[in-house]
Amino acid sequence: MLKIIRRIASTKTIGEKELIEKLCNRDRSAFDYLYDHYSAALYSIVLRIVRNEDVAEEVLQDVFLKIWDRMAAYDSSKGRLFTWMLNIARNQAIDKTRSKEMSQGRKTDDIEHLVNRIDRQESVELQIEAIGLKEVLTKLPEEQRFVIDQLYLKGYTQSEVAEEFDIPLGTVKTRTRMALKELRSILNVT
Amino acid sequence: MNIQEYIASGILESYALGEVTEAERTSVERALIQYPEVREELRKVEETLERIAFESALAPAPHVKEKLMARISLAKPEAKIITLTSERPFWRYATAASIAIALFSSYLAFHYNQLWEADSMELAQIKAENQLMAEQYNIVNQKLDKIQGDLAVIENAAFTRVVMKGTPNDTNALASVYWNPATQEVYLSIQQLKEVSRENQFQLWAIVNGKPVDAGVFDLNFAGLLKMKNINGAAAFAVTIEPRGGKASPTLETMQVVGSVVTNPS
Repeated sequence: MLKIIRRIASTKTIGEKELIEKLCNRDRSAFDYLYDHYSAALYSIVLRIVRNEDVAEEVLQDVFLKIWDRMAAYDSSKGRLFTWMLNIARNQAIDKTRSKEMSQGRKTDDIEHLVNRIDRQESVELQIEAIGLKEVLTKLPEEQRFVIDQLYLKGYTQSEVAEEFDIPLGTVKTRTRMALKELRSILNVT
Repeated sequence: MNIQEYIASGILESYALGEVTEAERTSVERALIQYPEVREELRKVEETLERIAFESALAPAPHVKEKLMARISLAKPEAKIITLTSERPFWRYATAASIAIALFSSYLAFHYNQLWEADSMELAQIKAENQLMAEQYNIVNQKLDKIQGDLAVIENAAFTRVVMKGTPNDTNALASVYWNPATQEVYLSIQQLKEVSRENQFQLWAIVNGKPVDAGVFDLNFAGLLKMKNINGAAAFAVTIEPRGGKASPTLETMQVVGSVVTNPS
């Protein structure tokens, strides 16, 4: 085990295949690596959807517990490891915002709480704004930027965007595709 | 199937975002096996999504990892055998001890967190119950105030009780008026009156100098005494049925009860 830790510490990345194998064997050091490597990416996704740091931290823990418990169910022929984790994170976060707990909390909030929350939300938004992605997004045409903004920065689903802004779902899908294609070349994904 | 059209529809992006129906999922998974272009395209879509996520990553606070690891240790207390290469027993014991302490303290953290969660739930429940009790207490209190107020009128010798008996329209009808000739206050108490339709209402009249004077309209939706309009110098009281809102002069044919004022033998 010490050997493994040492090897992980010395090599910056380990192959996805190797990582998955170790996780399936319930290797704690591999899980440690998984957390260190992916928690920030997943946390920002969760935070954008739940818009509250305390809740996001709790959801992130649930997400990693789910990943740990369900690792054996992951099938690499159906998609990358990150996509699988991204979907767990998105679903967990969306479920949380729709759960009774949060809507009740919203109802019973008094003015003072509300003001606090608005302050917090603003600080959450500021943190998000500060991230470099915004700059990349400005290179996209308006309609594509809008879709990515809603899907990725605001955490809506495609069907929610279609419904909320009265855009046909098919259009939302093709715009998502165009935007991701554009981002692909901006981010040099080959 | 036209692969290019299939890809252009954006279905692979939806698939990667986990926003496909079961049928769509099956179709994508089948296409992935069948067409290398689809596999290649999905890889690019996924890599782009991953890159975006990494470009916008935000590290969670360090305590999140600590809590998570404690939860995992407790969820699956797997006894992994740790072999130490060190020859020195001190390090072996020190490591064993530190692991034991770490496990024990994460257990304590978890345990107290559970207790705290249970306590805060109980507290919320007690608060809700308390609020309900307070509301019920208020209702009871209001009722008690009303009864005490009514009782003060009934027991007050300054009030004359005028019993109004049923007319041929309703011989079983019975109602009373408590009237204070000095302060002119009038309270009504119903013993027996028949319900009227929604368009109609009861109206209380006082006979003053041989003429009917309006003392207010009422429905049967009250308990105890109902305060009516002040009346001066009444000789009798009567109740008629009138269109909702009342009338300026009574419809004598609808009179339900009537009673004369009998002055207290004082």
